[in-house]
Amino acid sequence: MIRLEGAEKYYTTGAEPIHVLRGISLHIASGEFVSIMGPSGSGKSTLMNILGCLDTLDKGTYELDRRRVDTVNNSEQAKIRNRKFGFVFQQFNLIPRLSALRNVELPMIYGRLPLAERQQRARQALHRVGLGDRCSHTPARLSGGQQQRVAIARALVNDPDVIIADEPTGSLDSHAGEEIMNIFSELHAQGKLIIMVTHEHDIAAYAQRIIRLRDGVIAEDLRK
Amino acid sequence: MKPASNTLWQFWLDLLGQALLGLADHKLRTALSATGIAIGIAAVILIATVNRSGKEVIFSELQTFGLKSVWVHRNYKVDDPRRVIRGGTGISNDDINALKASASCPALAKFTPILWPGRYAPLFATRGNRYSSAGVEGVGSAYLEINNDALVVGRGFNPQDIERRRAVAVIGEQVRNDLFAADENPVGKELRIADDKFEIIGVLAYKDRSFLASINSTGGQQDPNGRILIPYNRLQTMLGTEDITMIQGEAVSPGMARAAAEQIVAFLKRRHQDAFKYRIETMQQYVANADVILGIVSTIGLVAATVSLLVAGLGILNIMSTSVIERTREIGLRKAIGGGEGEIMSQFLIEATLISLLGGVFGLLLGAVSSVAITAWTHYPLVPEFSFIVIGFCVSLVVGLISGVYPAYRAAKLRPVEALRYE
Repeated sequence: MIRLEGAEKYYTTGAEPIHVLRGISLHIASGEFVSIMGPSGSGKSTLMNILGCLDTLDKGTYELDRRRVDTVNNSEQAKIRNRKFGFVFQQFNLIPRLSALRNVELPMIYGRLPLAERQQRARQALHRVGLGDRCSHTPARLSGGQQQRVAIARALVNDPDVIIADEPTGSLDSHAGEEIMNIFSELHAQGKLIIMVTHEHDIAAYAQRIIRLRDGVIAEDLRK
Repeated sequence: MKPASNTLWQFWLDLLGQALLGLADHKLRTALSATGIAIGIAAVILIATVNRSGKEVIFSELQTFGLKSVWVHRNYKVDDPRRVIRGGTGISNDDINALKASASCPALAKFTPILWPGRYAPLFATRGNRYSSAGVEGVGSAYLEINNDALVVGRGFNPQDIERRRAVAVIGEQVRNDLFAADENPVGKELRIADDKFEIIGVLAYKDRSFLASINSTGGQQDPNGRILIPYNRLQTMLGTEDITMIQGEAVSPGMARAAAEQIVAFLKRRHQDAFKYRIETMQQYVANADVILGIVSTIGLVAATVSLLVAGLGILNIMSTSVIERTREIGLRKAIGGGEGEIMSQFLIEATLISLLGGVFGLLLGAVSSVAITAWTHYPLVPEFSFIVIGFCVSLVVGLISGVYPAYRAAKLRPVEALRYE
């Protein structure tokens, strides 16, 4: 499903360029549950952004479903993100003025689905994460755990092959975090490929495969 | 996954919905930046209305002279002192009779001699112990027609009145008020000019030249309602002269006015072996002057309106830039879940345009209300012009688009990774 070969990435924000990824080769099959771990500055977020087509490579190749995606233009990247990926962020990133239902509808607006189908699928997705009765609530009226579940519903609604989660429990208490991880486990059981960045060991333990990064290279690739 | 046309419609409706929600978040800010546009559009509407109404006023007053009218009179200016200066007006009864018989002025439809007694003696009209200081004018039978003069009672001059130098007079509204009681019919009554008795045969309809008078226009200073018209040759007899002050002609069409006047001048010069110079005036030149003055006034107004629209556009630019910065994370999220550059750009462009259009709608209302108010106050005719609505709409659309382009472009070009990380 995912083939990353010799991936390198530099950042030139400061005076001298920072070499964030120093040649990473990684194969991930569909249906895996992968945790990416590592200290801050190890390049785990950058790797996740590249895997999610949010960022581009400076060197190396990225194949998704046997198709080169490191060479496509911005608008093609946006389409790939829309169809192939669902994103879950630490800060939820819900739009505050929109109801839960409308937040979940957003990816389908960019996917240009008709209104009736959108609303039906958004309702189903919210139902799936246990928020069928909170459709009209705005994020401000939901708890952190509920907001993250809305975000998961949003990530699921276009039926992507890959769910990318960046510290999904980082802003939640342990109980809410557990609920979220149970949902991920369920999704994994249903055959979704899940790639999760975290620095918490007990959260990482939900995954079948743990990749540890250090200084921009893979230090360890453990499979259970 | 090629979108069908109805889903494309749906898509634009969705973007519109997203934009509306974005604006609804900042109602006060949106309203304030729309106000700038509203004032600018209202100014444009008001200027256009004043221009149209002003044109209407000036045009209707100029029409009281006859739009095809031309005037030819002697130019007394001396530019060669060695030449012998001859007396007289340069136009005589013989010229008039010859011009009548001549075919050398094809651009001239009709004409009338006009004689003003001012240079000879002041004339008063009296009746019993009432008097009128109105101006006496000697005219020909075509005068009333050329000057668009209508009669409220009685008749105008016929060729026999002129031929037989009859002592008949046509009087203006003011003269009637000076000499007669309100309920009295002047037709058939007598009035005196100097020692001569005249029979009143008609009363002229009221003519409004108050605007021209208010700007001290030459035409306006002569009160059209204070005229006493008598056959020009009768006046000549009274004054003991053979002179004619001027020829007023009517061209075959407004475009031929200049040609008609020049043909008269050429004719007169031929007859007098070039002894006199003549001055030409045409109504068309005054219409053109009025257009130029109105054009200048409108240009000044439009410059002011453009400046206010420019400032309003900068206001929108500012607000939208702030909005893009505030919503950096939202933009990042939208891009992460599949929003393309075009879609993000469209959303912010629509927001900017909506602010501007909102201002445009209020500007149209404000413009309409102030137009009604100002025309009511100045007593100008209100000329409703629906193209203003289209203009106001288009202008606000364009201002919105232009001022939205830069912030929308910046939003579209944000890199999703950095935008998502923005605090």
